[in-house]
Amino acid sequence: MKIVTLWLDGLWDRNPGLIQLLGLCPLLAVSNTVDNAIGLGLATLFVLVLSNASISLIRNLVDDAIRLPVFVLVIAALTTCAELLVQAFDYPLYQSLGIFLPLIVTNCLILGRAEALARREPFFVSTMDGLAQGLGFLLVLVSLGALREWASKTLILAALPPGAFIALGLLVALHQVIQSKLKHLRAKVIANTKDRRVRTTGDIS
Amino acid sequence: MTFRLATFGLITSLFVGVIYVITKPLIIAAKEEARLEQLYALAEPLLLDGTIQTPVRKELPSNAPTTLERPLLVTPIANSTNQIGSVIPFKSTEGYSGTIQLLIALDQNQRVVGLRAIDHKETPGLGDKIDTRKTDWILSFNGLSYRDLSPDDWAVDKDGGRFDSFTGATITPRAVVNALKDTLRYLDENPELLEASQ
Repeated sequence: MKIVTLWLDGLWDRNPGLIQLLGLCPLLAVSNTVDNAIGLGLATLFVLVLSNASISLIRNLVDDAIRLPVFVLVIAALTTCAELLVQAFDYPLYQSLGIFLPLIVTNCLILGRAEALARREPFFVSTMDGLAQGLGFLLVLVSLGALREWASKTLILAALPPGAFIALGLLVALHQVIQSKLKHLRAKVIANTKDRRVRTTGDIS
Repeated sequence: MTFRLATFGLITSLFVGVIYVITKPLIIAAKEEARLEQLYALAEPLLLDGTIQTPVRKELPSNAPTTLERPLLVTPIANSTNQIGSVIPFKSTEGYSGTIQLLIALDQNQRVVGLRAIDHKETPGLGDKIDTRKTDWILSFNGLSYRDLSPDDWAVDKDGGRFDSFTGATITPRAVVNALKDTLRYLDENPELLEASQ
């Protein structure tokens, strides 16, 4: 049950890009094309899953005094590895991501998940959370990239930095609308079940 | 706990070290491939008539500008009888962050055929306008030779020169123009450096 909630949270209910609004700097900067968005999204996913997994493994070895330095150390090492791997296997992508690849280290989503969850939860739960949150981030990054790439064909603004803010605002608004519709629906379903239950109890007594 | 922190530092450094050693040959190969690809794009006008020859290493005297690597790797372009141009790398260390690696193609009269920034870490949205993926700024040097302009004109407009400096990021274009000026002046004085045959 907990795992299902983790996935729902990461992909929709508490999506890092649309609700928590974490990691906005790369989200806004690298979402100008779908290719870049996929590249950075996958690199972030890689770092997030491995950092959640390894921080969960060492969670009983670190106390409060050295917790933050150790987490930052782990995240920095993983980001450096991601940078080296992208450079080795997709050099053009490395060139077009530029400074934003090493800047994954400052993505607050990653340290945020380490602090909020991975330092308390066991290995499997932490890894799943990393996957869910990373995929949620990737999805928003790719939607934003697709939206901006498509809109920039007719509207140059979409390709420029202000366009990123406007497009993200539209996505957040859309998420809120769907979320409130869902809430209504959920409330109705619950109300219906309650009604029936009241009648059943009535019949029995 | 101090000891424990140091141990974590050691382990993570070791981890990064292992990945570095494994990816190093792959990265070198990828860089070389990207360099060649760029070479073709850069020297395209010359390649209508000629082909890329094997690079030649040239030793530089100590008074050569620091924008040139030592030894200098000259890639000649020649048709069946004559050398018709060359491609050389140079760099600027005056950029906003890190070294800007540049590549230039020159014809036999030392006119710029093409110029590209092939590796840099300049600020996205500001300094990275030297990149052809962002703007065509760096193409504004095409067709020029060092003698076409007075030495004072070889500068960004903010320094009284001929070339556009980007709003909010003068450091980057200034670094490129100054490095180009030093390189072209030196080659103008020492044209034998570009000749493949000794």
